[in-house]
Amino acid sequence: MPTRLIHTILLVTLVSGIFSCSPKNISTKYYYQNEKVLDRIEETYKELSRQTPFTVGFTDKDFKIVALEIITDTLSYIYEFEINEPRLTDTLRAYHLNAAKITRLIQQMQGIRCTWIKNYDYYVDEKKNTLIFMSIKPVALNAPFAYKKYYTLTYFQQPQYFDSEGRLLDKRKRRRLRKINGEIFKRINDKVCYTISGKFR
Amino acid sequence: MKVRRTVVKRILFLLVICFCISSKTIAFINDTVLPVATVSSTRQQAIAFIDSIKQLDSSAYWPNIKPSLFLQNLKTSIYQPISIYPGNGTNFCGYGALTYLFLQDDPLGYAKLLLQLYKEGEARFGNASFTPSAAIKKEAGRLKYKGVLDIRPAEQMWYLCLADHYKGYLNIFNLRYNPGDEDRFWASVNYAKFNRMARGLLRYKVKAKGADWLHPNVGNMYEYISGQLTTGRVVLFINNRIVHKKNHVKIKLALPTHFIVVEKISKQDDLITLVYWDYGGKTLLQLSPSFLRRIIFGITHFSKNESDAN
Repeated sequence: MPTRLIHTILLVTLVSGIFSCSPKNISTKYYYQNEKVLDRIEETYKELSRQTPFTVGFTDKDFKIVALEIITDTLSYIYEFEINEPRLTDTLRAYHLNAAKITRLIQQMQGIRCTWIKNYDYYVDEKKNTLIFMSIKPVALNAPFAYKKYYTLTYFQQPQYFDSEGRLLDKRKRRRLRKINGEIFKRINDKVCYTISGKFR
Repeated sequence: MKVRRTVVKRILFLLVICFCISSKTIAFINDTVLPVATVSSTRQQAIAFIDSIKQLDSSAYWPNIKPSLFLQNLKTSIYQPISIYPGNGTNFCGYGALTYLFLQDDPLGYAKLLLQLYKEGEARFGNASFTPSAAIKKEAGRLKYKGVLDIRPAEQMWYLCLADHYKGYLNIFNLRYNPGDEDRFWASVNYAKFNRMARGLLRYKVKAKGADWLHPNVGNMYEYISGQLTTGRVVLFINNRIVHKKNHVKIKLALPTHFIVVEKISKQDDLITLVYWDYGGKTLLQLSPSFLRRIIFGITHFSKNESDAN
């Protein structure tokens, strides 16, 4: 085989390898591939956090250390547990949280490599709105040539406005891009947006 | 020269990963109340003053501040200092910690200062003479996507004024405000700048231990902080990126990024329980003595008596 052809094949393989792992390819496709699980996590979290506000996530790469923040009227409590540690369920019970459901939620998050989930307040026309902010560390974004990035989803309660490029807009001034956590988000559907970010919370 | 500048810029860029990101927007109710004898003005005095103002006119100096929201925000800060919120994603945490102490020591002074700034476009307080830039005056009231700070124009005005007035070495490459700079180096607070602001604005004796790049040499950190709390208030300058991880990068710069006000500290066996204020509420964190030592870079003590400051 001529050397030139070998070089071409190697180059094509390398370039396709790089681009197949790039965040561009993960965009909306990832959501639709995992829609059921992602939506189930969002629904469960929404229901549970309505009873007692909390945030939960994983602080290690192996998804074994759970970080839990329980928010009460007077204090926010920050804890870290190993996923199978009995202290985790004991603590959940101590704060009158639904330990069984939250443990299941944590397992679902671990299964899909969801790094963080929380409620996020934002204001439109002086009125408070809440969205659910969820970040995931998909395997593809862990590949050698991929950036160290997280796939972040936002679940709004109402349909949102977008520009012609599908970027999330401010509702009131429709030409202004809405930033959440310092990032510009893109449309998946009317209520769900995504971004690729260097931080998970 | 150019290479040196690039290196400095890179170091500063690494520092930017930092400053103070929080998501808490819950207003907490249990508030620290200092004994009357130890404060410069009482909350009752401030409430009487602020409640006597029924309506505010628009300010010619602050075109984007809605008077009713300004007054409402000022009242909230006086009634519930704990609820002040320096904004999600901003570099305002240092100004927030300072304001939290200001509101507890001299709420009447705070209310009068902010009203003067609002009505006259400039004001004097302590050794500071605030003459905000035109860019600040235009932006206050328009900050968006910062959580509850979005609807708190008085706090927006105040934090922007502080960042506009006080400068430290972190601000040298971004001295003039442009929209969005509240999240950038323009608003950053290094440890010396924080202490300078505290000495200039607050009626406390301020004693600082630590630096931006080195841990304070105070022996047992827990014993030292506990001791300081018996005679005054304590602000810690901490590396927040290892307390609130935002990514899974293993090697992180050991640099401080966040200011917190200590409310309580206790120890049982080898576990330290720290209760602190930041971003609109109090947080309880349990940590080991070694982790406490790892995160703390600055300990500033605020006391009313000269003898306590020694």
